[in-house]
Amino acid sequence: MHSVKRLCLAHFWVAFAFFAAACAIGTWQMWVRSPLGASVGTPGQYYMLVTAHGVALAFVLTTFFIMGFGYFVATTALDRQLPGKAWAWGAYWLAVVGVVVAFAPIMNGQASVLYTFYPPLTGSAWFYIGLVLLVVASWIWAVLMMVAMTAWKRENPGRPVPLAMFATVANAVMWLWTTVGVAVQLLFQVIPAALGLVHTIDVGLSRTLFSWTLHAIVYFWLIPAYIAFYTMVPRAAGGRLYSDTMGRLTFILFLVYSLPVGLHHLLMDPEHGNATKFIQVVLTAFVSVPTLLTIFTITASLEIAGRLRGGRGPFGWIATLPWDRPMVLATGLSFVMLGFGGFGGLINMGYGMNAMVHNTSWVTAHFHLIFGGSVVIMYFAICYEIWPRLTGREHPTLSLLRLQLWSWFVGMMVMTLPWHWLGLQGQWRRVANFNYADPIIAGWGPWVIVSLIGGIILLASALLFLRNLAVLHRGAVLAVARPLYAIAVHPPQRVPAVLNSFGLWNVLVLVLMLVAYGLPIAQFLIEPSPSAIVHRMR
Amino acid sequence: MSDSHETPSIDRRLLDQPWRFWSTVAVAGTLLGGIILGALIIPVVQGRSAGLDAYTAICRALGILPGSPAQPQPSDRVQRTPVSQVVWTSELLHILARADPARGRTKALESCAACHGETGIAVAPDVPHLAGQSGPAIYKQLSDYRTGSRAHDLMAGIARALDETALADIAAYYAGRPMRNPNPATLAPAPAEIITLVELGDPRRGIPPCASCHRAGSGGPIETPVLAEQRDEYFIQQINLYASGQRRNDLYARMRTIAAQLTPSEIAGLAAYYRAGFR
Repeated sequence: MHSVKRLCLAHFWVAFAFFAAACAIGTWQMWVRSPLGASVGTPGQYYMLVTAHGVALAFVLTTFFIMGFGYFVATTALDRQLPGKAWAWGAYWLAVVGVVVAFAPIMNGQASVLYTFYPPLTGSAWFYIGLVLLVVASWIWAVLMMVAMTAWKRENPGRPVPLAMFATVANAVMWLWTTVGVAVQLLFQVIPAALGLVHTIDVGLSRTLFSWTLHAIVYFWLIPAYIAFYTMVPRAAGGRLYSDTMGRLTFILFLVYSLPVGLHHLLMDPEHGNATKFIQVVLTAFVSVPTLLTIFTITASLEIAGRLRGGRGPFGWIATLPWDRPMVLATGLSFVMLGFGGFGGLINMGYGMNAMVHNTSWVTAHFHLIFGGSVVIMYFAICYEIWPRLTGREHPTLSLLRLQLWSWFVGMMVMTLPWHWLGLQGQWRRVANFNYADPIIAGWGPWVIVSLIGGIILLASALLFLRNLAVLHRGAVLAVARPLYAIAVHPPQRVPAVLNSFGLWNVLVLVLMLVAYGLPIAQFLIEPSPSAIVHRMR
Repeated sequence: MSDSHETPSIDRRLLDQPWRFWSTVAVAGTLLGGIILGALIIPVVQGRSAGLDAYTAICRALGILPGSPAQPQPSDRVQRTPVSQVVWTSELLHILARADPARGRTKALESCAACHGETGIAVAPDVPHLAGQSGPAIYKQLSDYRTGSRAHDLMAGIARALDETALADIAAYYAGRPMRNPNPATLAPAPAEIITLVELGDPRRGIPPCASCHRAGSGGPIETPVLAEQRDEYFIQQINLYASGQRRNDLYARMRTIAAQLTPSEIAGLAAYYRAGFR
């Protein structure tokens, strides 16, 4: 472990402290929007807490978890010291300061902008400055990941980088590309406006720059789950990874295709031409390829494990899998949620269908299911797997771990499926309350209450998760020495350089981004937007 | 495949080359396919059924020309009559930001003070107070008088005699005059239904809350006037002018729509509510 235990735990506990608080806030939001809590709270409080909920989950939980997990992978998969550990601690404290600076105005009600950066909504400059500090800290992390991989490659010339680290660096490289859009938007548009240095914000340009970041950031959150699928699940199930090359291709495809697709979040926006939207939708379709590759490869890996355990026939191997192990159980549950969520995502991707669901609860339900469900449940499984290695203590019982994973799955399905349904009925999103006296809206009431029940189950599950981790900080130390990472059926002896580095892929990303975002951004500079759609700060 | 780690570099290059080539071809092919479909074939085919030539359809698809390649653009040759000529461009905002209240005072004493008072407290009942009024609101009304968007025999002549900078200066001057600070102890409490109208509106009649625009920091349009401490007579007169459609310089007919829905007692109640100040 090379003594990054404290570093990892420090990151993880910040992530999960915010996670638990955000779950409580989320439950409150479900309650006040339901007929049961219809007279509670003001819209101002609601939007303030939506912002807190979103920032805590989308920025704090994810960034801290991914940074901590990256340090863990860099030392365990490469089996060497983390280079620049002082930098890592520096980045940690910078991120902590950033979070404090961002949350002060949120809780003060001065940054109720939801957790997205869509002018004309603008908040206190401190909110944005705090988030910039968080992003800068994550850039330090990204550089450290690349330095660690480069140093390992120098020591091991010609050998393939272990898949877990290759994927982590793919994520770091993608993250550097990803954050360029929002960094430009914040530094050149939103922060100067929030400070009163400029009088106008071109909303179209701002939304375009944010869309640059908006989709790839989701893959930044998702890749740790995929790292677990490829490198931990086959071992946990007692089998082998079906294909190491498939894993490398998957992470490369995420790097290449998650970036030039953000415009599909702006399909209903007027500032872009149909053709530019179409090109990005075509590229969006290719983002589903790595997920399909993963479903295939991981299912094949599990089949190997199931057959090794005596499974027979076309489906007999499923029953013989060790479902009592948290990592295997979480993968099964995650795949179910990924199935529903992925299907919903395909609907959002289509221009015509998007037009129908765009401003409805369907979208909110979709990203809760796909991120909060299929991704976060893998965060849990990763923690259950690596926590004994961090604290040196073994789980006293696995039954509470399974209960926690099952309750998270049940809670997420109970919360999001009715939510999707309400979206199809036209329930709008981004609103603080519903007027249940309206006969049309009254019919939504029972489904909103069902969603609320799902939310309560999720909150209970979140607290149980913290408990399951906290008990591993007490009691007698038991040294555990189990291998963590899976071996491939054909362990790679050497791989083509393009599957072991990112040079070519960065060039291709650059070309794709120039084509996909060149005209959409340049048009604002060639011909300034009509003043009627430029937001004027007051 | 050899098990040795020490592959000669020439071999490694041979191993690498097809990967490089085919991955570049795959990504470039995807991109090219998207461009050909989205920027050429689809707009041309769609444009044909919309009666557009290929060039126009492609330009529309790329966003270079306005409009959709799938639909004919409705003709805009009908003469448009905007309710106001004021456009809040950044140039205009700069003029307002650079306005000089001292110059404005001189002009106000010449042209305005006779009716609106030197400090913005008017004498005649149908003349509005201007003290503490929002600068953009004063500018918008003066500009509308000048262009004829708002009609008033006297004001039209006065506003036409002033140039744009003078309007901005006068607006800045009166915007900077303090309000009168009425004694809160003497204020009568407003009736509950008036407070509801101000705070929540009346969704059944399509009336939004007054406070959603007419409150500092509410996020309403920049030209929204301050209503606090305005006198009853002027307030009621203007609401009635909106209701009857005689005054029509409100964008999107917002105030005309709202005013037409209000009852006389509500108008009087709102006038009393806003007269009280501190709103």
